Amino acid sequence: MPLELRIAWRNVWRNPRRTGLTVAATVFAVVLVMVAVALGAGTHEKMIEDSVRVNAGHVLVSGRDYLEKRTLEQFVEYDEALAERLADAPGVRGVAPRVVSFGLLSEDQSTRGVAVVGVDPRREGDVTTLPGRVTRGRFLTADGEREILLGTRLASNLQADVGDQVLLYSIAYSLETAYELFTVVGVMKLPEVNMDRTLAVISLRDAQSFFVYGDRVSEVAILAGDSDAVPALARNVREAVAGTPTEVHTWRESMPELEQFIILDDAGMYITLAILVVVVGFGILNTILMAVLERQREFGVVLALGLRPRAIFRIVYLESLMLALVGLAVGLAIALPLILYLQAHPVALTGNMAGAVELFGFEPQVTWKLKPLNPLGSIATILGVAVIAALYPAIKASRGRPVDALRSL
Amino acid sequence: MSRHATTRAARIAAALLGLLAGGAAAAPLEPAPPGLVARDVAERAEDALRSERTYLEAEMTVVSPRLAADRVVAFQNWDDRPGKRSFIRILEPAKDAGSGFLKLHPNLWMFVPRVERTVRIPPSMMLQSWMGSDFTNDDLVKESSALDDYDHRLLGVDPAPEGHEDLRAYVVEYVPHEDAPVVWGRIVTWIETQHSTPLRQEFYDEDGVKLREMTFSRIEEIDGRYYPRSWRMRPLDKEGHETRILVREIRFDAKIDDAVFTKHNLTRTR
Repeated sequence: MPLELRIAWRNVWRNPRRTGLTVAATVFAVVLVMVAVALGAGTHEKMIEDSVRVNAGHVLVSGRDYLEKRTLEQFVEYDEALAERLADAPGVRGVAPRVVSFGLLSEDQSTRGVAVVGVDPRREGDVTTLPGRVTRGRFLTADGEREILLGTRLASNLQADVGDQVLLYSIAYSLETAYELFTVVGVMKLPEVNMDRTLAVISLRDAQSFFVYGDRVSEVAILAGDSDAVPALARNVREAVAGTPTEVHTWRESMPELEQFIILDDAGMYITLAILVVVVGFGILNTILMAVLERQREFGVVLALGLRPRAIFRIVYLESLMLALVGLAVGLAIALPLILYLQAHPVALTGNMAGAVELFGFEPQVTWKLKPLNPLGSIATILGVAVIAALYPAIKASRGRPVDALRSL
Repeated sequence: MSRHATTRAARIAAALLGLLAGGAAAAPLEPAPPGLVARDVAERAEDALRSERTYLEAEMTVVSPRLAADRVVAFQNWDDRPGKRSFIRILEPAKDAGSGFLKLHPNLWMFVPRVERTVRIPPSMMLQSWMGSDFTNDDLVKESSALDDYDHRLLGVDPAPEGHEDLRAYVVEYVPHEDAPVVWGRIVTWIETQHSTPLRQEFYDEDGVKLREMTFSRIEEIDGRYYPRSWRMRPLDKEGHETRILVREIRFDAKIDDAVFTKHNLTRTR
């Protein structure tokens, strides 16, 4: 066996240029596949992160049927003790209770239908980037009363600005009419156009009294420290609220369109990569086959000398595995540091491209993320391709008859 | 054995058909008299409820599992049918007393006296609850016309309509025109044969799911009309919810000043 290894290794370097080209193709494939997969992972993670930080959090606790109905009828009984219990669950980075409903918002002559969200001014920033989105005025304060924040487009549609009094009108949980004058304290720039046009934010306390909602909240959004830890976090949260009439959903359920987009995007990427890998596979096949055909006479001689066909099969097979392994080693040596560098240095988008991305509510930034499955998957794929591609040349080499081989001189 | 199977299949089919028929009406419908035009029946039903100018005073009771005590809203309504305008003044509860709603086709205005603001209710809010009831702002505005925005079809005669077993009713199906501003897929209305009083209305969505049911009772003869004083609305997707309207007073062909239907009148509190 060591003898066969040595022979195979020597054979690999008998034609350094051909071997070099094949290795280069493999290296190219490994680097491309790994960087592309890391780009996909990084982009999706960023999308998830941006989306959960706009609104729903990684995990959402709500009343039953809330995701389908979203009315005041679906609620969670909420108090500070529940908030503390949720915040103490392992893996939780932030907890934000909210009251979500709708209403009419009126300023002078114009009126708009709005989504009213009551947030806890001290907690909201732990989960979403809402406080940082205020472009004029300020965010809500813990002891402020009847203060309201408006989306930029909503504010301009209403022709309302910081300091103005606006009338909020709705139907309370008690089915009474609810109306109150609020003072605009800030205007927020929201990434998503529809939100920017309809979102009005008031304090949780004001919302609970406005909607005669008692200690209830519509939802509690929870942010995880790491998006990979979400399933475990969801389990912990389920335990923390066990026994209460609530539902716990992850972002996959609260934002199904995001999950579907990621699946679709992944599918497109993997199809492209599969084509690339097949091309590399044919490259390896070609190299080995050429090497085998060139050495028909040599195989004839060693067969005539009594070497068994099996040994020839093994030698040829080892050659192709060696080619793949060398390619893999060099590829990993280039790809890993490259990805780690890119991961640490995201590329900012500018110009039209940035505008398009922002329109969908995402930060205009290209990010990479190395997940453990990425190098492992690449190794398995390239080795698998080599194993399959070498099959035909190896069989062909071992099947030769010494007489034919010697005649083909 | 195969004969056995066919009779069984036939029985199941018959049972299914029975279920379907039962879904539409309790008893099988009798054929409608020949020559009767569905739209005329629908028009007479409209006339039974409204004259050209109508004044009424009513009490609305909202029942909900989340309320310890029913919510009662009393209001006055001035209606100008040909002018497509309408005015509502809330009398009770005290919190909303003086609030007003003015419909000037196609707009709906609301006045909140406590904060002295007049608000035009935007189209996006039309399907929201009116005053906490199971009626929507759209029910109030009646953007659509029961006559012009629908195709009418006579389904037959119900010899014993549910809740009014001693009466007979034409069953008329209203299917909205493609471009009509209507949220329903179709509406089925039971209209009493003698005096054209509506007895019952079922509202279906586009998938044929029944979403709400309105029933009329306490029919009394008022100024030659047979008028149902009590209306009951049940949203079928909200268990335990119900809104009843009791018309305390109604005057048909009332003299109503045009000044009633103005934004000035809306802001005038008494």
